[in-house]
Parts: sequence; structure tokens; C-alpha cells
Amino acid sequence: MIFDSYEAYRQAGFKPKVCILGSGPAGTTIARKLGAAGIPVVVLEAGSREFSDESQDFYRGKTVGDFYFDLDITRLRFMGGSSNHWAGWCRVLDSQDFEPKAWAPDTGWPISRADIEPYLGEVHDILELPDFRPDVPVSDDIRWVQLIKSPAVRFGEKFADELDKNKNIAVVLNTYATELIGDGRRVTGAKLWSNGQDAGTFTADYFVTCTGGLENSRLLLWSNERSNGGVVPNAAALGRYWMEHPTFQGGNAILANYSEFEVDASNEAFFSPTLVAMERLQIMNFGIRLIESPYPNVKKLIADLACTAPNMAEWMSTQLDQRLRCAAQLYVAWEQAPLASNQIELSKTDVDHAGVPRIELHWKKSPLERRTLLEGLRLFGTTLAQKNLGRVRIDEWISNGGDYPTNEETAGHHHMGGIRMGTDVLKSVVDANCKVHGMDNLYVGGSSVFCTSGQCNPTTTITALACRLGEHLSKVIAV
Amino acid sequence: MSRFISKMSRRAIVQALIALPALSLFRNQAAPANPGEIDPDEIVEINGWILRRSDLA
Ligand SMILES: Cc1cc2nc3c(=O)[nH]c(=O)nc-3n(C[C@H](O)[C@H](O)[C@H](O)COP(=O)(O)OP(=O)(O)OC[C@H]3O[C@@H](n4cnc5c(N)ncnc54)[C@H](O)[C@@H]3O)c2cc1C
Repeated sequence: MIFDSYEAYRQAGFKPKVCILGSGPAGTTIARKLGAAGIPVVVLEAGSREFSDESQDFYRGKTVGDFYFDLDITRLRFMGGSSNHWAGWCRVLDSQDFEPKAWAPDTGWPISRADIEPYLGEVHDILELPDFRPDVPVSDDIRWVQLIKSPAVRFGEKFADELDKNKNIAVVLNTYATELIGDGRRVTGAKLWSNGQDAGTFTADYFVTCTGGLENSRLLLWSNERSNGGVVPNAAALGRYWMEHPTFQGGNAILANYSEFEVDASNEAFFSPTLVAMERLQIMNFGIRLIESPYPNVKKLIADLACTAPNMAEWMSTQLDQRLRCAAQLYVAWEQAPLASNQIELSKTDVDHAGVPRIELHWKKSPLERRTLLEGLRLFGTTLAQKNLGRVRIDEWISNGGDYPTNEETAGHHHMGGIRMGTDVLKSVVDANCKVHGMDNLYVGGSSVFCTSGQCNPTTTITALACRLGEHLSKVIAV
Repeated sequence: MSRFISKMSRRAIVQALIALPALSLFRNQAAPANPGEIDPDEIVEINGWILRRSDLA
């Protein structure tokens, strides 16, 4: 059932066991799992069926530190959440991403990839993915990896009919959960804002916040402040260890034969380091994306190479004569080192229309990441040269330690961490089942729980974790 | 420079650049440790390019 207002929902007299906040990929997936298990669940969604400037305004915030997107641009606040404009790139975190890295503090998850693998079949159906191909080693240091460009499922559109027909699920639109109320063991209710006003307190046995990788932290920080620690009793890490996938053009490559690598429908290919290489160089994971260069760029590149290596340039020029596709721009996206200082805070001066403090995001890239970018390009370039597959030129600002450009991609719009999973209450907020430490009935869905980000886009892993959490909650409730 | 390049054919650009004797001045070649033992497969990084030493011939 879908209700367009909280008032309409109230009149229906539905009695939910579980209350999910947010109808993005995480919330919708968990609701479908619970509904399928016969558990009555309500999904409170702050936005409506369509985009609106009024709703989007609640997402405004401020960033302190490195340049980042405006916080009301980097996500969407209506049914289906940011899946309404995601690009659809899919890959699950690598097994190695779950492991602690001795050279990068605060890495490692309390679960392994094997814990989410049983759900990948469901994830493939939800996201409409073909099977993933195994990585292909290019050298001891570099592997070809597959990122699938999926049809970019819009969760609101795809599942609206199903949700509407399901008698176990009630989706309530235009209903903003401004605050959870807790007594240090249980969440006892959620305060709601609907139709531009206070709409009272909502109760259910279980609460799952799936409000996105920035908003989950904001909601819990504000709720905890209002409840004097009654919502997140162990709050040392709350809002901290926030991560993105910084993304910049890092150089160019001239390729002996573009078809040497498997490319996708857009002629793009992706490469990542092996664990051995990451360990040896003490760097984070990264993904290098090969994007075919337009012809004028190729000419400039060969002229540049001629200054340094004329014979090589001549050889490349011959390649260009023989093939139209022979050069690529290299975009690098990398894993951020998890840092407690990268954190979401509540603004002390700025509140939204419902009176909830807006986000102040503190975000800086670290020297370890800078090294990852440079060494990553070197690894890739060395592999291409050693195997005679091509030659790489690293952009000057990277070789010379210059500033990050501000006119480039910047990052992936991937909001991770802030409510990370773990066993140490000083460094994590939820346990391996995504339950808030010390609370009996509060769970978190989405990439807020990520301990590390790996190099790949998060939504495939978010969906797998949501299937797992849905199944876990079904079992807990059935007992 | 870019207008100059765009008017020339690809091969002509490279040949013109190679023919310029002054270019060698700009070849910031890394000197081998022992000039007698040059490993042509050694990987060197010059002007941002990651090359084999033999590329510099
Ligand atoms: C431009 C762009 C491109 C992207 N491309 C990719 C990609 O190619 N691959 C990939 O894997 N990921 C991509 N992403 C990221 C992807 O969109 C997110 O990872 C994903 O949407 C997160 O799902 P979620 O359910 O956790 O949160 P969201 O999608 O953010 O959903 C949260 C929902 O909660 C609602 N809500 C918020 N606060 C409240 C509240 N207090 N009460 C009630 N409801 C609330 C919101 O309205 C929203 O519907 C992209 C993102 C952007 C912006």
C-alpha cells in the first residue's frame, strides 16, 4: 500500500511491527524482504513520488575542508532516494576490502565477503545484472576488474506497483522522521513532520534507518542529542570515518591495441591493484577507468611523447595510422583511508524548516590517498610498459605534488561511513548485524555502516547488506 | 603550438619533432647507474611518461 500522506495512512489503521525510515535502495529492499516474510512493515518516506525543490531544501548543508558537491545536489529526497539519478555502475566490494590492512589504521570489517555472497543472486534480480566475471590478472600487480553498467534501476518506479499491492507493506510519503526517541536500550518512537507541521510520535517494535549515507548520521546525532544519549549509547564513532571515492583524471595512455582488454559497451575498461601490490606499496585500493580519447587528444599526446621518446612516439604514430582507437584518458577513483576526523557534525547555526540542524561535513583527503593516486598510476604504467601493451603519462599535478583540480569529477557521490560496523564501541556504532550497539531494536541500512569503501560504487553492496539485514530481522522477529 | 599541430598530419608531427636536433636537449634522460650495463627493459619515469629505457633510444 502506498499512502500519499501520513493522515491517510493513520486512517487505514495499519499495525506495523517494523518501521523503516527512507525508501531508497536500502529501505525498499529491507521492506520487500520483511513483507515477503509476512511481517507488517511501514516505510516512512520524507519526500513524495516526484522531485520537489521544497523537499530537496531539507538536504542543504555545509562542507568544511576539501572541495565537495553541495549537499542538496549530491543526493535526492523523494521516493526511491538517490537511485532516481544514480548511474547504475555495479560491483560488489572485493574480499580483500573486508580485511584489515596493517598499513592503514581502522580498516577491516567484522564480516567477510562470504557473509554477503549468499544474497548476490537476489541482488542480481533487483538491480537487473548479468553475472559478474572474475577478475583477470594483467600482471602480478594489476588486475582487470569488471564494473557492470546496469540499467540503473529507479527503486521508486520499479517497485511502486509491487509495494502498492503488498498488504504487509505500507509506504507513507511526505512523512519526515525528524527524531528518534530512545531510553538507552530501545527506541520508543519517532517524531514526525508532515504537511509542514509536527505530526506526533510514531511507534513500532523495531526501527531501521535507511535515510542515506549522510542523513543517517544526521538523524542519529540529532536524536542522540535530544535523548541525552538514549538512541546511540556508545556514540564515540557516530558521524565519524565518513568516506567518499575521490575521482580525478590522472593521466593518459597510448595503447598498442585497445582490444587487448575487454571493454564494456561504452568502450571502457577498469583496472585495480592486487593485494600483493597494495601491501608492498602500502596503498589503498583504487580503480583506473580507461575512457577512449578523442582524436585531437591523441595527436597532442603523441607530440608530447616525441619530446621524450621519439622512437616510441613514431611507433605510436604508426598505431594511430592503423587503428582509430589507440589512446585513453585515465580516471582514477580510490579508496579513502578511514579517518575519524572525516565526520558529519550538526550545524550550530543552521536548521531546516522542521528545526533539525543541518549537516556540517568535515572532509579532507589524506597523504596516504595522495600516494595511492601516484603509485597506482605508476603501477598501471609499469604494467603496460613491461607487457608492451602501451605507455602511460601521469598528469603533471600528480607527479609534481600540485593541488587537486577543482574543475573535475571530484568524487562519486558515494556517501559511506559515519555509522560503521564493528565490535569496538569506541570505533563503531553498529554490530555485524547492523544493530546499534547497546540498543535492542534499532538497526541501520545503507552505506553508513561501511567500515572501508573499497574502490567500487557502493549500491550493489548496499543492496546485498539490505537483503542480509532483512533476512536477519525476519528471523529475530519470528522468534 | 596547438594550431600548428592541428594543421599537420600525424606522421609529419612526429617526424618534424624527431628531426629537430635541439629536442635532445629536452630529453631529460635518467642516467644508468653503470653506463656499461644498460638494461633496455628497465622502467623509467620521464616527464610524467612511464617508459622502458629502450623507448628513449
Ligand atoms: C549522481 C549520482 C550517481 C550515482 N551513481 C552510482 C553508481 O553508478 N553506482 C552506485 O553504486 N551508486 C551510485 N550512486 C550512489 C547511490 O545512488 C546510493 O548509494 C544509493 O542511492 C544509496 O541508497 P540508500 O537507500 O542507502 O539511500 P538513498 O538513496 O539516499 O535513500 C534515502 C531515502 O530516505 C529518505 N529520507 C531521508 N531522510 C529521511 C527522514 N528523516 N525520514 C524519512 N525519509 C527520509 C530520502 O528521501 C530517500 O528517499 C550515485 C549517486 C548519485 C547522486
